[in-house]
Amino acid sequence: MSIQKQMKTLEYDVLVVGAGIAGGESALNLADLGYKVLLLEKELSIGGKMILLSKVFPTLDCAACITTPKVSEIARHPNITIFTGAEPQKILKKGSHRFEAVVLQKPRYVHVADCTGCQLCEEACPVSVTDEYQYGLVGRKAAYIPFSIASPRAAAIDIDNCTLCGACERACPTKCIDFTQTPEEFLVKIKSVVIATGFELFDPLKIPRYGYGKYKNVITSMQMERELAPTRPFNTVLRPGDGKMPDNIAYVLCTGSRDKSVGNPICSQICCMYSIKQAQLLMGALPMADITIYYLHIRAFGKGFNEFYVQAQDMGVEFIKGKVGKITGKENGNLVVRYEDIKAGTVKEAEHDMVVLSVGVLPNQGISGVFENEELQLDPFHFVNQVDLMASPAKTSIEGVFVAGTASGPMDIPDSILSGGAASAETTSYLRKESL
Amino acid sequence: MTGGKVNNSPRILVFSTEKISDPAIDMAGLLKLHYPPTVYTIPVPCSSSIKPRWILHALEQGFDGVFIAADGTDCPYGESCTEKTGQLMSVTQQLMKEKGIDPARLKMAAICSVCSEPFVKHVKSFAEYLSKSSN
Amino acid sequence: MKKKIGVYICHCGGNISDYVDVEKVRQAVEGDEGVILSKTTMFACADSNQKEMVDDIKDRELDGVVVASCSPKLHLLTFRAVVERAGLNKYNYVHANIREQVSWAHSDNKMGATEKAIQIVKAAIAKVRNTESLEPVIVEATNAVAVIGAGIAGMRAAIELAEAGSQVYLIEREFFVGGRVAQWDDLCLTEETGKELITRLYDQVMSQKKITLFTGAEVIENSGSVGNFNLKVKITPRHFKLRCTEETLQQAIDVCPVEVPDEFNFNITTRKAIYHNYPSEYPQLPAIDMKNCTRCGECEKVCPNIDFSQKTEYLNLKVGSILLATGFDPYEPKKGEFGYGEIDNVVTFPQFKRIVHYCDDKLVYKGKEIKNIAYIYCVGSRQVDGENKYCSRYCCTAIIHTAITVKKKYKGIHNYHFNRGIRTYGKAEVWYDESSRLGDIYLQSFEYDPPVVEKSGTQTIVRIKDMLTIDKEIEVVADLVVLVTGMVPRQDNSIGNLLKVPRGRDNFFNEIHMKLRPVETVIDGITIAGASQGPKNIMESINSGLAAATKSFSLVNSGELALEPTVAKVNLEACEWCGKCDEACPYNAFEKVETGGKFIAKVNSAVCKGCGMCLPVCPTNALDLIGLTDEDVESMIDALIPNI
Ligand SMILES: Cc1cc2nc3c(=O)[nH]c(=O)nc-3n(C[C@H](O)[C@H](O)[C@H](O)COP(=O)(O)OP(=O)(O)OC[C@H]3O[C@@H](n4cnc5c(N)ncnc54)[C@H](O)[C@@H]3O)c2cc1C
Ligand SMILES: Cc1cc2nc3c(=O)[nH]c(=O)nc-3n(C[C@H](O)[C@H](O)[C@H](O)COP(=O)(O)OP(=O)(O)OC[C@H]3O[C@@H](n4cnc5c(N)ncnc54)[C@H](O)[C@@H]3O)c2cc1C
Ligand code: SF4
Ligand code: SF4
Repeated sequence: MSIQKQMKTLEYDVLVVGAGIAGGESALNLADLGYKVLLLEKELSIGGKMILLSKVFPTLDCAACITTPKVSEIARHPNITIFTGAEPQKILKKGSHRFEAVVLQKPRYVHVADCTGCQLCEEACPVSVTDEYQYGLVGRKAAYIPFSIASPRAAAIDIDNCTLCGACERACPTKCIDFTQTPEEFLVKIKSVVIATGFELFDPLKIPRYGYGKYKNVITSMQMERELAPTRPFNTVLRPGDGKMPDNIAYVLCTGSRDKSVGNPICSQICCMYSIKQAQLLMGALPMADITIYYLHIRAFGKGFNEFYVQAQDMGVEFIKGKVGKITGKENGNLVVRYEDIKAGTVKEAEHDMVVLSVGVLPNQGISGVFENEELQLDPFHFVNQVDLMASPAKTSIEGVFVAGTASGPMDIPDSILSGGAASAETTSYLRKESL
Repeated sequence: MTGGKVNNSPRILVFSTEKISDPAIDMAGLLKLHYPPTVYTIPVPCSSSIKPRWILHALEQGFDGVFIAADGTDCPYGESCTEKTGQLMSVTQQLMKEKGIDPARLKMAAICSVCSEPFVKHVKSFAEYLSKSSN
Repeated sequence: MKKKIGVYICHCGGNISDYVDVEKVRQAVEGDEGVILSKTTMFACADSNQKEMVDDIKDRELDGVVVASCSPKLHLLTFRAVVERAGLNKYNYVHANIREQVSWAHSDNKMGATEKAIQIVKAAIAKVRNTESLEPVIVEATNAVAVIGAGIAGMRAAIELAEAGSQVYLIEREFFVGGRVAQWDDLCLTEETGKELITRLYDQVMSQKKITLFTGAEVIENSGSVGNFNLKVKITPRHFKLRCTEETLQQAIDVCPVEVPDEFNFNITTRKAIYHNYPSEYPQLPAIDMKNCTRCGECEKVCPNIDFSQKTEYLNLKVGSILLATGFDPYEPKKGEFGYGEIDNVVTFPQFKRIVHYCDDKLVYKGKEIKNIAYIYCVGSRQVDGENKYCSRYCCTAIIHTAITVKKKYKGIHNYHFNRGIRTYGKAEVWYDESSRLGDIYLQSFEYDPPVVEKSGTQTIVRIKDMLTIDKEIEVVADLVVLVTGMVPRQDNSIGNLLKVPRGRDNFFNEIHMKLRPVETVIDGITIAGASQGPKNIMESINSGLAAATKSFSLVNSGELALEPTVAKVNLEACEWCGKCDEACPYNAFEKVETGGKFIAKVNSAVCKGCGMCLPVCPTNALDLIGLTDEDVESMIDALIPNI
């Protein structure tokens, strides 16, 4: 099982897979200590989910304000090389402190170094498609800058939707668009690997009785996050169905979590808190709106979390201990939520004009298949298994491969950052052992 | 729309803070929230580092008003910031009184790193006050 | 004063030039004093322009550079790097923000925008005329770290630091290592017991040559700052020379006449003045507790290793960084809180852990076999009236796990959980599920209506208005009531006071920023780990210990530290030492020194963070911030006023 020769070969000390907040933190720590790091990100921008969030609990500071300086520190660091649009195809362990990875970089069709982010290509492009970085709330062009605070803030061509009309090429003042780019494979030799591939969001289409996909005013929490972000698409909070400002919004917690019927028995650990956060932000954005949160238990466990929960109660957010059975749409776009009121012991119905599904955290399982000659074990919930949970939480089943952030289980940003720090610490001592 | 005679609006000097309020003022621009172009900013590390003499200098050299976009409780250098900025405010206003300058020509508000809208509201109403009082 | 200034005004591809007449701006500033080059450029940040700038700086020997473009948050560092590449000190670069604060903010008023841009560029030119070349403040850093507290977080951090290459002093106040975890047997998360985990970590600590472990040790003095802290450590002797055989030790313990409550067992048992917490505890050397020893000398007679002549020692350590991992205290309920201290079968969770440890096949407390156990959650946490508003995080999971263990270990156990909403977050949810399946009963009270524990005859009764059964009042007769007590900060905060580490709203040590710098404190060089920063389970404590180790290591590892030079500066002539600056400084950067026959203030530039809080308080205006002097600010103000 050897890797072909003709690929370009690169050498680094550490390969970090995934440039979310956890991978970024690990990469920065290692680079600060002088190790050469290759940071791979499959998306067009680094920053993971966090860069797309509005404000963050429990301090309510703006996610962009925290992420952008971190992201630019990562991007500028002389010891970090970033590949966006890139994923490992396979990773082989060749011996102690010796790994080889084949990395595939998809073409962006833009020379990032020359792109100034002027957006003239966006204006010129005639093709409109839905914008995945705005979670489908609005459209974008086929020639586009992923989002305003993306890093790199450079255009990309969505080749699947592009008609090759050439309008963007003509519009570009720096001539950085290049349709001749092709996928490129690299052979990367490294001494150690950090897995920071993050999590996936539960797809609420799997619970048809909640009406997601059927009723436009049932949205996911990530969509609401985008509506509330400073770089938000509408500049205010709207119902996607008719553009009306909602004034009675409901949250359904544990959507896709703690639910064996969808195969996910565990608690996602973040959705209670982000829903409480969104509720507080909504009360600021729409002072007249009523917010109801349907919950089973509120997991406000971290530093400052319970206080944040109590603050929301004091602000007038209504918390109903209840299990939501079914959501049905009305002609005017409003929604009827049928739920079991646990305190009252009865089934009730309530009308809301918008429903947010607080979708849970699912494992991003793909990465284990990339390891070819040694097994990267997964835990019973399909997250990367932490083989020495209590003394070395970043260790995985492969010596020299460490895990950071939500790749090993649900966690919030502070915990992801600590876990990123732990992974870089363990990587450092692993690398030190080689030189001894 | 072009034009809008510049000299009509009062000149306001804003002391913003590098980590907290200046980003909010940047974002006001990003969101195209307009305010009078006679509002200028000088960023400083922290709002409690502003010397009263700078404020007096600005007012004496021709600025109609000075606005301190304070860190408030978000100050990265410590909790005492609110109190200290408040102190330098009152010291300066005392000095202004002594020099016969209307103390209301100095204004302060805490501007968090995303308080773009409040910032614009503050400078607009300050400008309004200043143009009324100068007439 | 600069004489060869270069100015670049950016179109930003229209972002600026659509609203600001950039050519007019250029013309307005080209004649300014000292300006020898002025250009407009389509994209200042583009590679091509950066190259051109480097060439200009070299060819024209520029001594100051201004770029008027977007916000400095985006590109200040980019352009500083450009001038540096051209061989010019980077502090001779000044940035003018004419996009976010001009063209975009005033896109409704082109003329106004252009005029504002002119004034802003003029102000930047005025500032660059005064700039000086600056070098970072370099301080030497000792490649050694003091880790305070040898609980799991401290031990794990110490191992990591030693493996990475630092000298480590691991300082533990008790005579034995392991912290709280040594007190628990069964743990949730894995099958490993507390003792096994501690053994594993202790063995690693001992095998690291770079770690020096001190037990019975406390830091009592601290001076210096990041890179060079000087610590004075007091070491209390344990009065044992060597390890003796189990037999002799047991004899010595037996003859000791002093009996005191055993804190290791949360006072449910007693111990002698000569003690170890459990056989084979680490270090495997017993200790004599001199606070309670009567010096009767009985033990000496049976054990030759006892040595009453050992003296308290003092040690001076020099370290580059301090990692605090002093852990937590379990909340101690007040007398009468849910019957605690009044009803004899009401115990705390930590006590319960010890009771379970001592009971093998039957769960017995005070001579009575226990079948019905009532657990009352959130005691000392989530207080509606009290000070502790926070949730203690570990307890729901740990108590449910313990309840399952108890049910499996002993026959006929009935568990009743009087909770306030179960918080088994993440993967711990499976234990909640398992315990429900095993038939544990969950009863939930309202925040404002907690359960009541009462004695009725010989019975102890717990009464609750249960939210889950439509507020029905339910009564449970309990053989044992376990108060699920939360975590509180160490009640003895002498170390926090000594190091001036601030505490947060919840009174635990506070980080600078929960997300950006979660293990650093405002005191440069001091990091925090484990439950000392807030409630955590073991895995979370270890994660934060490792993260803190990385931060401490990165400070000391290269042997020196480069700090920003934009710090406060004292004008020697003007200063009359009144101490006001010292009071205003949040970092203790000032020192009173004598020169030329008078006392003046001196700034320790290694400690100063450049916040400038001292500037306005000086009555003689003797203070300036480098890079923001009176001249800088006032010349900018002058330039912002058009001279018409
Ligand atoms: C709606 C919502 C709101 C939230 N609000 C908050 C909040 O207010 N406060 C808070 O603390 N937390 C919040 N969170 C949680 C927060 O988003 C996570 O804790 C955090 O993003 C986890 O970071 P991560 O780096 O582990 O993972 P991610 O952010 O998922 O990053 C992983 C990165 O790896 C990349 N990647 C994945 N696979 C590969 C591959 N094979 N090759 C290359 N790259 C790959 C991904 O593209 C991604 O960029 C919220 C989450 C959601 C869903
Ligand atoms: C009843 C109970 C059950 C628990 N069960 C579990 C469980 O099953 N699973 C789990 O993951 N977690 C459990 N926990 C949580 C676990 O105990 C903590 O996560 C862990 O103890 C935190 O470790 P630490 O090193 O931060 O602090 P500590 O364990 O408190 O250690 C701190 C150390 O610092 C020393 N120290 C303090 N002050 C000073 C000073 N001034 N100078 C020098 N040394 C000092 C102390 O003596 C101590 O050795 C439980 C907690 C409790 C209360
Ligand atoms: S965090 Fe809250 S909403 Fe999310 S799964 Fe857990 S209990 Fe449900
Ligand atoms: S973890 Fe559970 S028992 Fe502990 S304070 Fe929080 S809610 Fe209460």
